[in-house]
Amino acid sequence: MTAPTPVLQLDHITRHRAGRPAVADLSLQLDAGQVLGLLGVNGAGKSTTLAMIAGALIPDSGAITLNGKDFIEHPELAQRAIGWLPERAPLWQELTVSEHLDAHGRLRGLRGTALAQAREAIIERLELGPLLRRLAAVLSQGQRQRLGLACALLHRPSLLVLDEPANALDPVQVASLRAVIREEAAAGTTVILSTHLLAEVTAACDRVAILHEGQLRYDAPITDDDHKMLEQTFFDIAMRGNGSNHRMQAA
Amino acid sequence: MSVLAVTRLELRRLLVRPLAWVLAALTLAQLAGRFMLLLQTFLSHQIAWAAKPAGPGYTDVVGVPMLSSILTSGILPMLPFGLAELALIVVPLLTMSTLAGERSNGTLPLWFGMGQPASRIVLGKFFALLVWLVLWLALTLAMPLSLAHGISLDWGKLASASLGLLLMLAALAAIGVACSAYASHPAIAAAASLMLGLALVSLNVGALMAGVNNGFINWLSMNTHLDTFVRGLVSSADVVWFLLVIVASLALATQRLGAERERG
Repeated sequence: MTAPTPVLQLDHITRHRAGRPAVADLSLQLDAGQVLGLLGVNGAGKSTTLAMIAGALIPDSGAITLNGKDFIEHPELAQRAIGWLPERAPLWQELTVSEHLDAHGRLRGLRGTALAQAREAIIERLELGPLLRRLAAVLSQGQRQRLGLACALLHRPSLLVLDEPANALDPVQVASLRAVIREEAAAGTTVILSTHLLAEVTAACDRVAILHEGQLRYDAPITDDDHKMLEQTFFDIAMRGNGSNHRMQAA
Repeated sequence: MSVLAVTRLELRRLLVRPLAWVLAALTLAQLAGRFMLLLQTFLSHQIAWAAKPAGPGYTDVVGVPMLSSILTSGILPMLPFGLAELALIVVPLLTMSTLAGERSNGTLPLWFGMGQPASRIVLGKFFALLVWLVLWLALTLAMPLSLAHGISLDWGKLASASLGLLLMLAALAAIGVACSAYASHPAIAAAASLMLGLALVSLNVGALMAGVNNGFINWLSMNTHLDTFVRGLVSSADVVWFLLVIVASLALATQRLGAERERG
């Protein structure tokens, strides 16, 4: 029996920014339904990695395979397969919440009934009903994140890429975000989320990868009994750049 | 199909911004003033001109001059601008945010993240601008056409001038999109687009003053090509010139946007 095709595979990707490697020789593989927490301090290369996974940036070298296809050669695969919530949820200030959902749906290739159904489902799921006529410019940070998440989920992607999604959310919003992530994973969506908060990873993810100075220093599944060890590992890597003696196993 | 989705989104964004409405209101009010002045001139000289065998008619004095000052600059130098002259200011203001605005707002990577190729983004935005500009042209034409039932119009000449103006608007829009693709801020894009537009129409002024009518510099100038349309002639060479400007500008914008995805 052959192994199922991974949803996402990164092979030795490197990307320079401002003359230095923001991401260096990064390799990862993600299967359907996995939730990977990409952990790292500010400037570790998390956002650059996620931008490459989302198709917004091209690696200088290496390969990205999405559902078995070369993603660098076929960036159009992102249209249906990837939902991306960048940091600080960039929105078109002059459009309403409703117009954002319509625009994202159409740009993702949804039309007619399919668009209407997807729209209704996401409005109900993320409780966007009362905000529909509100302009993006007047939304609070939490509401902006919710709208960004709705736009990322609208077309039912197979890979959900979330860049610091819990930023500026209150505890109730964080709890509902975690619930959404778990629901998506249960439905078979692969989720990759970046954060610098360890608690975020242990609460929502089943695997953790720690990036430091653009390099992958740790990659392992999360079990209930190793949160303390994970915390120590993160601090070792973040404070001393000392990650070589930690686990680097295929999760 | 996705170009249509980009166009639809961009048109919506254009129509909810106050800038598009303010520009439309101010320019149409100015053009309405020009229409009244042109009409007054026509009515006061109508009998004298009718007596001449090749005297100018309503289309020459009111219809076409609404679109461009080329024909009236000699006889009515004090009149306010026609559509062509206004376009040199309006189009850069309208196009400045198309890509530079996305860049400064941080929404540009979002387009790439939705799997939209650079060409589709550029074309979709260009077509949305074109829709606004066509409506602007149509509303301007509606003024001289409102008297068409009682006046003999030279439909061919008016159609030719309208086609010329349409091509000019499209060329200026394409230049504006290209400037917006290269600029880091909308104001820089507007300034660059304005200067390029002015340079293109005034490129041959010196040559004309020196008596050169058929030089390369004249061919480069937009006025040379617009002039033919305004005088009622549709030449394929002029159409090709405008298409070349449009295609080259959009290709540059596409190339710049594609490079942005690579460079980050």
